[in-house]
Amino acid sequence: MHGRTKVQMVLAAMLLSAASASFAQEKVTLTVYGDEGQNLVPVEWLKPLAAAKGITLQTVGVPFTSVYEKLKTEFVGGTGAYDVVIFYPAYLGEFAEFGYVQPLDGLFSVHDPKMDDVVPAYRDLYDMYNGKTYALPYDGDILNLYYMQHIFNDAGEKAAFKAKFGQELAVPRTWDDLGKVAQFFTRKKGEKLAGKTLDQDFYGFAFLGARGFAYAWWGNIFGSLGGAYFDKNMKPQINSPVGIQALNIQKKLKDYCPPDVMSYGYTELMNAYLQGRVATMIQWSDVWKKANDPKLSQIVHDAGISQVPGVKQADGTIYFRASAPVGRVIAIPATTKHPKEAFWVASMLSLDLGIKSVTSNDTGEDPYRISQFDNVQAFEKFGSAAEAKNYLTVVKDNLNHIFPDINIPGSAEYLDALDVAVTSALSGATDPATALNTAAASWDKITQTLDPARQKKIYNAMLEAWKKHGFWKD
Amino acid sequence: MAGLERTMTIEQSQKRFARLTALPGMAVLILLVVGPLVYMFVNSFFVKTLATPVPPRFAWFENYKSLVADGRFWNAFLNSMVIMLIGIPVQSALALAIALLLNKKFPGSRIIIALFLIPVMITPVVAGFEWKIILDNRFGPLNYVLGFFGVNPQAWLAQPVLAMASILLMDTWQWTPFVTLVLLAGLASIPKQVYEAASVDGSSAKETLWRVTMPLLRPVFTLVILLRIIFIFKVFDPVQILTGGGPGVATETLSVLTYIIGFKNFNVGMSATIAVVQLIIITIIAKLFIRLVMNRRQGTPS
Repeated sequence: MHGRTKVQMVLAAMLLSAASASFAQEKVTLTVYGDEGQNLVPVEWLKPLAAAKGITLQTVGVPFTSVYEKLKTEFVGGTGAYDVVIFYPAYLGEFAEFGYVQPLDGLFSVHDPKMDDVVPAYRDLYDMYNGKTYALPYDGDILNLYYMQHIFNDAGEKAAFKAKFGQELAVPRTWDDLGKVAQFFTRKKGEKLAGKTLDQDFYGFAFLGARGFAYAWWGNIFGSLGGAYFDKNMKPQINSPVGIQALNIQKKLKDYCPPDVMSYGYTELMNAYLQGRVATMIQWSDVWKKANDPKLSQIVHDAGISQVPGVKQADGTIYFRASAPVGRVIAIPATTKHPKEAFWVASMLSLDLGIKSVTSNDTGEDPYRISQFDNVQAFEKFGSAAEAKNYLTVVKDNLNHIFPDINIPGSAEYLDALDVAVTSALSGATDPATALNTAAASWDKITQTLDPARQKKIYNAMLEAWKKHGFWKD
Repeated sequence: MAGLERTMTIEQSQKRFARLTALPGMAVLILLVVGPLVYMFVNSFFVKTLATPVPPRFAWFENYKSLVADGRFWNAFLNSMVIMLIGIPVQSALALAIALLLNKKFPGSRIIIALFLIPVMITPVVAGFEWKIILDNRFGPLNYVLGFFGVNPQAWLAQPVLAMASILLMDTWQWTPFVTLVLLAGLASIPKQVYEAASVDGSSAKETLWRVTMPLLRPVFTLVILLRIIFIFKVFDPVQILTGGGPGVATETLSVLTYIIGFKNFNVGMSATIAVVQLIIITIIAKLFIRLVMNRRQGTPS
């Protein structure tokens, strides 16, 4: 071979090697942990791309409600079983504080995750801790109000609503209005709805009532009433007058929900809406995509989405806060032997495969990047350009008015105590005040166990991020 | 004399051999049962949580005091007792009736017995998902069948009392066959001559059942009911799958609470405390049951 050709070939090989990734080309096997089913589908998509880089991906899926305990068990055991972990951001504070996951800023050179493209509130509250990036976004869960468009547009229904309540029928923007709408649209089998006779009972509203994340539906109301988890001195505020008021409002709304609403998890709640059995409900963003899929929905192109209701202020504006339960972020355990490769996987999932993930009904992922919200065309597979644009505008608006899960050490325990209180009160086992007082007492105990001084310091640091986004006023 | 010494030596040698062969089993027992029990007992005296790197703190009976003051613990205790106090009589009566029927040996009885055992063989988690479908408010077969009797569809898993009833229903469906099988074996072991003698004495069917069958079945009955008491008090799978302890804490049992405290909240000290208390409660209940049976046995005329 000609000498010059040999040099050129060597140079080309070196360039290729440098361009492909700034980590060694040795073959590695990485284990990705996450909640099983649709939320690990993007990892399957990544497998061929990873294989080309010498990375074999294997997944460990766990039940939706077991993500925390199974991951925490592994972290405490320190076996290094996982290289990439996908979990709910409520746990990030604890995992970062105790060193289970590593800061990622130093790994950005491997594959720039473009964090300035992430919706700022989501980035600052769910990906960062103590000023450092500990996780990349994977699923921008936020709650939204869904409604059946045609019944709100029906002339007969509009006239009847106005006759009953003396105001125009409109998509509810306040909790009061939601109560009226829910009451109005709750009908028995045989009655009429938008001109058609109902062949089954129809309900005005639905929410997630099953244990696990039910607290977040209360959180929408609590947040919009100006509630906060603790005051600056870590005194629980969940049992404040606004906390009890929020639970009473939700209890009243339950009167207009299906009788089995307290057993509704993600699937049951979504199906109640997709099967056309409820007029309104509050759910995660991915439901809109599924609502427009004829294989899954009986209300194709009838699914309306709006901001979560709020509270009318003295100046006439409506203050609303949308809970963001669950959500998913990707982090790298401190024990991984291949941090660079693991970060490449995380960054690919968050950035490169992000748009495919949030525009597919094969996954449960929702948009979290500004570029995704700007990409209306990618969402037009679910509806018209106008529908897609409205969807993205609403979800982004809700994300910008996020009422985040508490994100400090012990968050799983705090939220479980709150969840028990909310579901106990809603099921009628106890009254709202007693339930929330019991939860507040539990919260005090948890804080005492976890070192009150440190909890206070961490919580106040979290409040700084809240302040930055206008969610907290001193 | 020399022969006697040799006999004793052989006897001693046999005893020694017996002890040696028992050693591996004992070692396993100590390692897998006694050891963890002692560890659990010791942990109950520590404030120890894995949720934080704060080191464990010896706290005497602080965990126990905290537990006694915890309403959620008493709620879980009450739920466990309700499941036991309703489940055991229902399962016992049902199992006895079915066992007496199946003992009559009619064509196809063997096939029926084999089919009857299916619920016991199904993994509890799978059974739980099956029952979630059966109990579905809109599409569940249970509501469908009840509809023929004019009963409106019930939200089985969404209302506290119905959710508890659902747990009991599933547990009864799954474990009655086990009790039936054991009682059937007990019935099969009763000699036919006893029934022949009773027949010759002019005993009616009812008298034969209460004066012949039941007394002879008592040892087997006692054993299987004792086992069921222990297992039903620790019920976990149906609750975890069907309701997660909800709605609220309406179906949260001591086992589910122990799981949440230990494996979700990583509060090792408190979960050990609940486990110790649960063990003490089960032991007391078992002893009371045995004493009750023994007292009735002593009072029964031969």
